[in-house]
Amino acid sequence: MTKNSKLSLFDELGLSESLDYALSTCARCGFCKPVCPTHPFGGGFEAFSPRSKIYHLKKIKDGKGELTNDWVERLYQCTTCERCVEVCQTDIPLVQIWEAARAESVKMGSGPMPAHKKFGKFVEEFDNPYGEPKAERDRWLLPDIKPSEKAEILLFGGCTCSYKMPPMLQTGAKILTRVGIPFCYAGGKEVCCSSPILRTGQIESAKRLIGSNVDLFNEMGVKKIVTPCSGCSKTLRHDYPVWAKHLGKKWDIKVVHFSEIYVDLLRQKKLKPVRELKRKVTYHDPCHLGRAQNIYDEPREILNSIPGIELIEMDFKRKDSKCCGAGGGVKANYPDMATEISNSRVKEAEETGADTLVTMCPFCQTSFTQSLKALNSPLQFAGVEELLLESLE
Amino acid sequence: MNQRIRDRLKEKLEERVTFDSELLEVYDHDIGEIPSIIMSMINCKPEAAIVAKSNQDVIDTLSIANEFGIAVTPRGQGSSGYGGAIPTNGGIVLDMACMNKIISINKEPLTVDVEPGIIWNNLSFELRKIGLDNSICPTSAPSSTVGGWFPKGGVGLGSMRYGSVRDVVTEIDVIDLDCKVRTYSGSDMEIYHQTCGIFGVIVRLRLKCIKAERIVPYGVLLPNTESAQSFIIKARERLKPYTIILHSSGYIRMRKQENYENGNGTQDFHALIAFEESNKDDITLKSIIDESAGKSLSKETAMEEWEDRFYPMRIKKFGPSVLVGEFYLPEKCFDRAWTEIEKDLANDTLGMEAVVVNDNKMAVLVYILDNAKSMFYQIRMAKALRPLGIALRYGGSFYTAGLWLANNSKELFGMKKYNYIVNTKKERDSKLLLNPGKIIPPKIRQIPLLNICVFMNLISKLMSPIAKISIYKNRYKSVFNEKHGE
Repeated sequence: MTKNSKLSLFDELGLSESLDYALSTCARCGFCKPVCPTHPFGGGFEAFSPRSKIYHLKKIKDGKGELTNDWVERLYQCTTCERCVEVCQTDIPLVQIWEAARAESVKMGSGPMPAHKKFGKFVEEFDNPYGEPKAERDRWLLPDIKPSEKAEILLFGGCTCSYKMPPMLQTGAKILTRVGIPFCYAGGKEVCCSSPILRTGQIESAKRLIGSNVDLFNEMGVKKIVTPCSGCSKTLRHDYPVWAKHLGKKWDIKVVHFSEIYVDLLRQKKLKPVRELKRKVTYHDPCHLGRAQNIYDEPREILNSIPGIELIEMDFKRKDSKCCGAGGGVKANYPDMATEISNSRVKEAEETGADTLVTMCPFCQTSFTQSLKALNSPLQFAGVEELLLESLE
Repeated sequence: MNQRIRDRLKEKLEERVTFDSELLEVYDHDIGEIPSIIMSMINCKPEAAIVAKSNQDVIDTLSIANEFGIAVTPRGQGSSGYGGAIPTNGGIVLDMACMNKIISINKEPLTVDVEPGIIWNNLSFELRKIGLDNSICPTSAPSSTVGGWFPKGGVGLGSMRYGSVRDVVTEIDVIDLDCKVRTYSGSDMEIYHQTCGIFGVIVRLRLKCIKAERIVPYGVLLPNTESAQSFIIKARERLKPYTIILHSSGYIRMRKQENYENGNGTQDFHALIAFEESNKDDITLKSIIDESAGKSLSKETAMEEWEDRFYPMRIKKFGPSVLVGEFYLPEKCFDRAWTEIEKDLANDTLGMEAVVVNDNKMAVLVYILDNAKSMFYQIRMAKALRPLGIALRYGGSFYTAGLWLANNSKELFGMKKYNYIVNTKKERDSKLLLNPGKIIPPKIRQIPLLNICVFMNLISKLMSPIAKISIYKNRYKSVFNEKHGE
């Protein structure tokens, strides 16, 4: 973006006027600065704070500033955790704005960052950011899990769960099977939800992925999508309706995270946790699940339904939950920063006196398991769904 | 700043100093939206910024600044709009926000020693873990620093019961331009209070704290100014509230993003009266509400407003800018003063938030919606001083001086203290290196014979009648309501 230019992503989505207005409402109060997990990595200088990024973007909008390479780098040093959005006095959609600015930097050729380019290339070739074979997307499917040919509910695997963390997906599929809820699965036809691509500003790739998935869902006659991944569910829930409309495609699908399905089943008594698990757990609210989708109660309700589980809360929880450091492409391109943020959260979890740290997000899980090992922490790690499954008859 | 000075700073401060213009550009302002034409009259662009991490960093900075005659502007979070943290002569910005640790907690008497960069809410959070709390805090507590509030001179939540920041801070460590660390308490601290750090950089503060208690808020609807004034006076006389915050109906409607014109709706007030649990007295409160012709608001409304106590700037969603006037007003004059202010700005979108404080006063903030991008904004800025002018006629006084109201320092401090400040500044810092342009107004760069405050005052007086008839109407509503939408 050069002088007198705009954030063209907002133009494309018809939000330019709203953006201009939102930037003007910044009170410069700085509430966003102390809660930002990446601001301290800028040496304490003010320019790394969200309010300074807004100040500079406003200058750009007014034709008085430029999106230099250093500003681009600062915009990529954000985990998109939305703590800044949560405390903003005037509800500025800061993370949306960072993503739009990142998209602009990609157009200019100064973004994304090297690690993001790598997974961007993988997505182009393999439809997933890990460079895993397309044909093996369904390798997580256990022999006893039999998706239906046609069903109103689609199980969306997502790249991380499909290739890297099958237990989250297997648990969900097992539970749906156990209670007799039919679900379909697109297997190798499913492509990346686009979250890592969209968050890092690689819009053209993201449009291809979204378009492909939307067409697939419509062809399959899907009414509801369920996924165990907080990143996928955030993207499918919030970004797909906007982009489907923009791409001229039909979107009439409800998106839910598996935690919502589990709670429904528990309330209907279709799931009965009976086996006692003697654990003191502390729950970490994933940013993409909590602040992004307002899912705070469901994971707690699941944990509280399990006999023997004692839930001990951390000081920073629910909307004030701290970030694990993995989001927004930070773990890929700034691994040291991500590790330090994750370590800090693990230490907070240790202070609760719990014996197990639990969460419901594959990215948080990756960060924390690495931190627990590196810190030689006495805490164990478990997924909420894993404990639920263990406690069932 | 020449290379030799840069080298010296780099040698001492290493990665804690920057000369990068991109990192420096955000240190040329605070929360105030001042037109660029005014900003161009001072040299607000720093040439270096230093993030202090220790007393030694402050000493090294001041030592080099003194040696080479470079201005130093200390800064907390820049969360005030008076310009106290804005450079007026380039030089170095000394960012103190990273010196933010609790040094010690002392049981007898209950005090806490902190570094200046600690944020009020973070301090409260840490104190509450051991059953203690701040006695007072500003309404900007989620971002503003303890070390920034003392030299600004503030009152806030809890000040009705525990006094101003001057009453709560009992001891400070200061590093003066001679680079010595000195400890001051009692009246010896006076020269550092409300003077924006023009005499030294505060590196430690000792604060009185209190035993933590649950705060119980009540909401009261009061039909008019007379009733609001009566309620406040009676509540002070017969109850022990932790705080009272008064909002005009205009303010409440701005928060809800409702289009309205002043004089075109109800003129009632919401009073939020909050008690430490051990001091609440429902029976007396009810009788005061009845005597003041008020009505109790629901517990839910009271709790919602209490939870929003740190969020006065939500109204900017409906701006997108606001002109702000701030002053102290004797509570016994509120009725007449506010009636006149409302009449004076009858066609504007106007709101008021007042925090009742010590000495039978209210700290009043008047908000007039505007748009800094509008071509008449610069003229309408003069309007922000009209409520202050009215308040002064009713025995009101200046809240603080900072940069923009430096010309009013005589009235703020009184002649005796003002003369002492000026003379001491001459003795200790004749080159005006420490936070220049604050309390003693800066000269205009292009017209050095004229100081900027005189100029602004003159322009404001000239523009004021035109500003009064220039009305801004916002018809745009923010679409981004997903987090805190009403």
